[in-house]
Amino acid sequence: MEALLDFWYAYSATLAFGLVNSLFALSMYSVLSAGILSFTTVVFAAVGGFAAAQMMGTFGLPLWLAVVIAGLLGGLASAIIAALFLKLETHWMALASLALILISRVVVLNTPSLTGGVMGMVVPVRASVLELAVLLAIVSLVFFRLHKSWYGLAIRAVREDAAAASTMGVSARQIQMIAFLISGVVGGLAGAAMATTLQYISADTFYLGVAFTMIASTVLGGSFFWFGPIVGAFVFTALPTITQAVLPEIQDIAKGVVLLVIMIYLPRGLIDPRARGLRKAARQRQQSALNGSDAVEARPGSSTAGHAHD
Amino acid sequence: MNMLETSKRTLLSAVYMAVALGIAAPAHADPDAGEYRIGMISDDSGPIASAGQSYHQGADIAVAEINSKGLAGEGVTLALDIKDSGSDAARAVQAMTQFGSDRGILATTCCILSAIAAAVSPIAMSNEVPLVIYGATRASLPQEPYVTSVVALPGPQEVAMSERLAAELKPQKVAYFLSGDNDIFKARAMAMKEVIEKSGAATVAEISTLSADTDFTGPATQGIATDPDLIVVMTTQQPTVGIITALRQRGYEGTIVTSEVLSPPAIFKKSGETITGIPFALSFQPGVSDSEAAVAFIDAYKAQYNALPDVYAAQGYMAIQFIAQGLKTLSGKPTRQDLAKAMWGTSDIAVNPYGGQPMESGQARTPNTLIVNWTKDGEVKLWEKP
Amino acid sequence: MTLFLEQLVNGISLGSLYALFGIGFGLVFATLGVLNVAHGAYASWAAILGYFSVDYFGVPFPAAVAIGVLGGGLIAVTVDQIGFQPLRGRKTGMLGALITSIAFLIILDSLAGMATNHQSWAFPSSSFPSGMVDLGLIRIPEMQIIIIVATLVCGGGIYALIQKTGIGAAMRAVGWNAEAAALSGVNPRIVILLTAFLAGATSGLAGVLGGAATSNISYMLGEGLLLKGFAAVVVGGFDDVRGTVIAGILLGICEVFVAQYLSTTYRDGFTYVLLLTFLVARPRGLFGSRDFMRA
Repeated sequence: MEALLDFWYAYSATLAFGLVNSLFALSMYSVLSAGILSFTTVVFAAVGGFAAAQMMGTFGLPLWLAVVIAGLLGGLASAIIAALFLKLETHWMALASLALILISRVVVLNTPSLTGGVMGMVVPVRASVLELAVLLAIVSLVFFRLHKSWYGLAIRAVREDAAAASTMGVSARQIQMIAFLISGVVGGLAGAAMATTLQYISADTFYLGVAFTMIASTVLGGSFFWFGPIVGAFVFTALPTITQAVLPEIQDIAKGVVLLVIMIYLPRGLIDPRARGLRKAARQRQQSALNGSDAVEARPGSSTAGHAHD
Repeated sequence: MNMLETSKRTLLSAVYMAVALGIAAPAHADPDAGEYRIGMISDDSGPIASAGQSYHQGADIAVAEINSKGLAGEGVTLALDIKDSGSDAARAVQAMTQFGSDRGILATTCCILSAIAAAVSPIAMSNEVPLVIYGATRASLPQEPYVTSVVALPGPQEVAMSERLAAELKPQKVAYFLSGDNDIFKARAMAMKEVIEKSGAATVAEISTLSADTDFTGPATQGIATDPDLIVVMTTQQPTVGIITALRQRGYEGTIVTSEVLSPPAIFKKSGETITGIPFALSFQPGVSDSEAAVAFIDAYKAQYNALPDVYAAQGYMAIQFIAQGLKTLSGKPTRQDLAKAMWGTSDIAVNPYGGQPMESGQARTPNTLIVNWTKDGEVKLWEKP
Repeated sequence: MTLFLEQLVNGISLGSLYALFGIGFGLVFATLGVLNVAHGAYASWAAILGYFSVDYFGVPFPAAVAIGVLGGGLIAVTVDQIGFQPLRGRKTGMLGALITSIAFLIILDSLAGMATNHQSWAFPSSSFPSGMVDLGLIRIPEMQIIIIVATLVCGGGIYALIQKTGIGAAMRAVGWNAEAAALSGVNPRIVILLTAFLAGATSGLAGVLGGAATSNISYMLGEGLLLKGFAAVVVGGFDDVRGTVIAGILLGICEVFVAQYLSTTYRDGFTYVLLLTFLVARPRGLFGSRDFMRA
């Protein structure tokens, strides 16, 4: 029992960071699933993180209220940014979002009254693993519901073929706007979660490193289904902890190699609804062969649409 | 005067040591024999790894010495459990949480960067595990009783050096290279500026640089254009070396003064020709520090790593010696709480290479000040007016 | 006046490094459609290889530069063949290659950190041209002249290669439409390899020269170049080598003068706001002749 408890304590920090990173990845996933490559999650997280830190540190608000405000402010930031960015062609958007991260860092460093400037901010409140898990569960539930909703159908249509989607009466711009807003709220929550897990945030907390790690986690886990980013975030968070226990010198290299291998051999990520669809189709084929009937037509490749019905 | 003060301190510390040992011997039995694990969060990789590796190696030397001489008690040995943070706050927090929850870890030591020290301190407090800060220098990091710091806050040493330079060189026009994104170095530079201005020297330029900068041709040109007879460079290590190199390459021949970031032998290996003769202030430097403890430390370090220790290695060494000293005062099965209390109450670290290291409320006070410079041959000597 | 001129030269030299680095970054983005964040690691590795060849084998500086350039090019080709080639034809778009380039950024940076023991090194000042050239009114470091000349030569050469030669036409064609290019009898494989090598080699040249000029050779050397080179490419226009060179040099001049006359605090902010302004308001860049068309 005691050993189990020790194990829990030892890895509770990894678990906590896994939960926080899942929120980051889901925020990335939100825009990615609308066919947009954008790193703005990091900016939303910075807004949410510093807002939460100020709410709790300066105004003494309770944790949950601060987290909610962080989410709202993240959403507000995303509305402004999306209005500006959605005019851009997708490739430029990716670059513009990187530029925005660079600018945010300069802003954070030069507004010490809001962010602590170069000193950063100590956050007086610590979120427990349970609180983080509840937060992620709520966010996951939203993604779960969205996946099955009209919005879920529409966003998959936009990702597959925006032009075709528009002929079906789906406005790509509108869908992408919603995707950005969700990304902003979740990003704001992720920032607040990061602030209350690290208990210290600075300009470096929300910089390129996080942007690259989180996009990698999202794609590694699979960016075609909401559960993928969560898996990716946990894998990417736990990997260094595991390699550190075995071969500390190569923990970073191992991370890079795993990412590379998965991208080459499983380019759609670890969780791929299409692969599930294919397996299901194969099963159905088998079954229909057994039944001596060819009534069930298996359609591999059409899984993204097919998935919405299951 | 400096010499006199040094020897006085050496004497004082010898008395302290005698007192400490004298009291310890009859009042306590040693802690139970056995191996005790110390968790060290290191900076073996990452942007400040050059200093980080020195801290780590210094700590290793301390462990070897403590184990072979029984400094933590009869039959008591220490073992370091290393987790490299790469100067990343998130990794340091994870490591600290793991150490805190691992009941086999008796004490921990961490951190060069103040920001990371501030992030891990609350974890040490809530897990009730002693944390010795070995490198970070922001004020008010120690928290009773678990968080202590063996690094003196910067300031007094630069002030002493500035007073001496102002008196001996009588500079008229002084230019300052500051760190725009490191508050501690900036404050140190401001303290020097105050002293130097008081001596009547005019400030001709204040040039701000950033820690991540690498190209200093612009700032160097700007500084030289004001024709200063003394240039103060108070930035983190990479920019300091870069600025000095740019100044010298552009032909500045006046006096440059800087901080202990020049201390590591690796810096001399990298930029030996350019940093020769530039004064900096610190508390420990091979070739100058000659107390018995310093010599023992230097010899052991040299034997192990085939290189001379720098001031960072000395600080890593001190952190472990401090823990061992606290441990030695306990008897029976030592607990984290008892160890923390013993360490918090310590007023002087007995085994130290500085020739005296007073402690007050868990915070090291400024030990003696050495004003030194590198010579052409790669040695460090006390600085003399050229 | 002397100060102004000297700072101007400092700015041109600094900007030349951004430009030199940016040329390859833009070339890969425009021709191969890869946003390659590992491009900076080529520069770090080239500088490290150059330094090792001086430190261990005592080769003269020009040879060290050549080794760095060659090394940068070969690493780039290797990364392309392992990381990007398997993704071609899979329609992963920009995303897949971005992720593999992040993987290579992590791997190459960690290896570079291990190779340098996470420390910063410098060419001994006797091993490279570290003197000053007296031009009467002002004095200029020799390295600055070398950097400026190298950038102009490389920029001009690559511009001529792309605009005036058959292989350059093929590169433009691949950038425009790989399938159409293949139909017209160009072997896309050769074009891809050549583009990757050129990109790595110019990045490597920027790395070695910059590492020597700033006395700073470390695994982090590439990151600073990446951010500023990225800005130069966007401001200059992706498919235009001339634009990249001019924009890079202008950025360098701006940085030096903002730091000199305003404050270092605003320096990076100025660069990045300029970058964002161009992305949003004029994505074709200073001289961009057409929109970025690849999917």
